[in-house]
Amino acid sequence: MIRLNCDKRFRDLIDRSFVEEVSAGERQVIHNHIRDCDGCKRYVELTARTIRGLREFTFTSEPDSHAQVRQILADHAGIMRQHNVQFRVWAAFAVALWMSFVGSALVYQMIKRLAVPMHFDTAQVQAGVLLFWLLPSFCAALCLLAARRENRGIA
Amino acid sequence: MSVLLMTLDTTAETETAKIARGLRERDRELLADLVERYQHRLVRYLLYLTGRREYAEDVAQETWVRVLQRGSQYNGRQRFDPWLFAIARNLAIDYLRKKRKAIEAASLPDDPDAMLLLPSSGPSPFEAAARSEDAMRLAVRLQILSPLYREALLLRFQEELSLAEIAQVLGAPPTTVTSRIYRGLAALRSAFEQGGDSPEL
Repeated sequence: MIRLNCDKRFRDLIDRSFVEEVSAGERQVIHNHIRDCDGCKRYVELTARTIRGLREFTFTSEPDSHAQVRQILADHAGIMRQHNVQFRVWAAFAVALWMSFVGSALVYQMIKRLAVPMHFDTAQVQAGVLLFWLLPSFCAALCLLAARRENRGIA
Repeated sequence: MSVLLMTLDTTAETETAKIARGLRERDRELLADLVERYQHRLVRYLLYLTGRREYAEDVAQETWVRVLQRGSQYNGRQRFDPWLFAIARNLAIDYLRKKRKAIEAASLPDDPDAMLLLPSSGPSPFEAAARSEDAMRLAVRLQILSPLYREALLLRFQEELSLAEIAQVLGAPPTTVTSRIYRGLAALRSAFEQGGDSPEL
């Protein structure tokens, strides 16, 4: 069995037994020691009393504190949702805009191939793509921005 | 026995995973439930940290807003309360820094922990909360005890967090945590020692 004198090392072991896990052997050492040592026995009692005392504080909450916090959270959630919706609308607009230009370029390339057998010239193809593809898709992207929030369907 | 422990472990995992999912989705019901369950403990922790009721209430509100904003950062693999207390601690340090800045335009210490050492005035919340004669004696000591020791004592003996969890909250190594607990205990123990020397607080 470990032999410990009544010195700082022993007091440290007592402290440790209150704060951390100690082995059964160490616990037995403390138990045996405090049977014969009044100083350490008192030390153990005072430490236990201090910890017990710490558990005897009862802090009362403000009666409406929970409701207040819930209200604040609801307000913040609303603001965050609004910011989120705005961000998503702008993101959707950016994507729609990008797609309208890229889509127009692809449609133009496709129609240009069909234009020769159909006897269309380049200017006619360009005008057609502009009128029937680029402008409508661009307007659709703008409508996304201009639509009322509840009708955007992405919130 | 091991089956029971495994079941309990799985239940605990499910609980934290549920919280993590709810926070990611900003589930209002879950948040309300968390407020109900943790608000009291949060305010108590902040009281120990700041020593002032009004500060504790303010920082607790800020903490919940932060939980709402950054809830997705909670991974659900650890307990929720140490994560919550860690947020509250950082906000309390910032809050006290702002308060101090407002009071004096003096240079501020670089160490964030030093911000917790601000002197407090007014009636002690500890005396108001003491429910026994021993607690009353401790309350006097607690009010003048360094908040660094106070919070370590609270987290260990009232919140019953493990040393590793306390280290996570404090952002300090476990050796620092134990040292603060031992020193705090030593300072408070002297409240019961007749004719004991004045403790080093």
